[in-house]
Amino acid sequence: MNDIYLARTTHSPEVDFRFSENTLTLTGEAYPENANEFFHPLLIALESYLKFVDSRDIEFNFRLTYFNSAATKMIYSMFELLNESACTSNRVILNWYFDEEDDTILEFGDGIHDDFTALDYRPVAVDLAMV
Amino acid sequence: MQLDLFSVFRNTADFNGVLFYYNGSLSQNVIATMGDALKQRLDSQDTAGPKARRLFSSFIEMVQNALHYSPDAPDSTGEKVGAVAVGKRDDKYYIVCGNLVEQQHVERIRQKIEPLRNMTMDEIKKAYREQLRNEHHSDQDSVSKGAGLGFLTLARDASEPIEYSLTPVDGHESELAYFYLKATV
Repeated sequence: MNDIYLARTTHSPEVDFRFSENTLTLTGEAYPENANEFFHPLLIALESYLKFVDSRDIEFNFRLTYFNSAATKMIYSMFELLNESACTSNRVILNWYFDEEDDTILEFGDGIHDDFTALDYRPVAVDLAMV
Repeated sequence: MQLDLFSVFRNTADFNGVLFYYNGSLSQNVIATMGDALKQRLDSQDTAGPKARRLFSSFIEMVQNALHYSPDAPDSTGEKVGAVAVGKRDDKYYIVCGNLVEQQHVERIRQKIEPLRNMTMDEIKKAYREQLRNEHHSDQDSVSKGAGLGFLTLARDASEPIEYSLTPVDGHESELAYFYLKATV
């Protein structure tokens, strides 16, 4: 399983999926022209990786500061896959970084927590403007 | 344009609190560049935090909507065009966006926006959560290219009901309509 690294652009996030270390990180902003096209390969890779690992601690670092409506759905699907895995074979820690002033990101994270209860959801307040 | 007319145009924009105006070809690059310019403009006005983020979010939803759903401009070769203005009145910001839509989609757009105008913020957030969980969106709405969350996101980020108008384009009444959308943050 190859790791995935995509550099950040003005409208797409930095993707650092280190499957070899069971650490997956998304950083930046996500409003690509076509959210399906951008996220679909990531979902496919994530799905294959999750089939392949067992009894691991997987860490997902969510550091997005903005995502548009189409990206929102794709991100939701990503957590759906991770939740299924957490229900059956792995432990998934979700570090949810949010700006203390940004209620939108925190509310979305809390919604993920409500819908996907097998994820070990850990909200972390930070000053993302400084990152 | 004569310089005195340009001066009137500028003064009218200033008087209406317009911070930013664009009219022309839309592409993802143009959108990303405008988004950056908007962020810088808000920074220079010391508008930061949740309000700046909600404004940026609404701006992106509206212009990407125009890019994804407007038909090619008449007499063009595949060009998408739109107009967008961001302004400030008192302590609120507004975004107005105008683009062409196909006449056959007018009722669909109306049916999506109209209910949102009468919902409370709690109802909007509930509808948003429900749509996020909806796994049948692409079967239910074959025109949509996204997740059916666009107008809900706009309504969620706004502090007043979304305003809109849909009017037929002269000479193209049966095919095209102008779609104007306004969000206040």
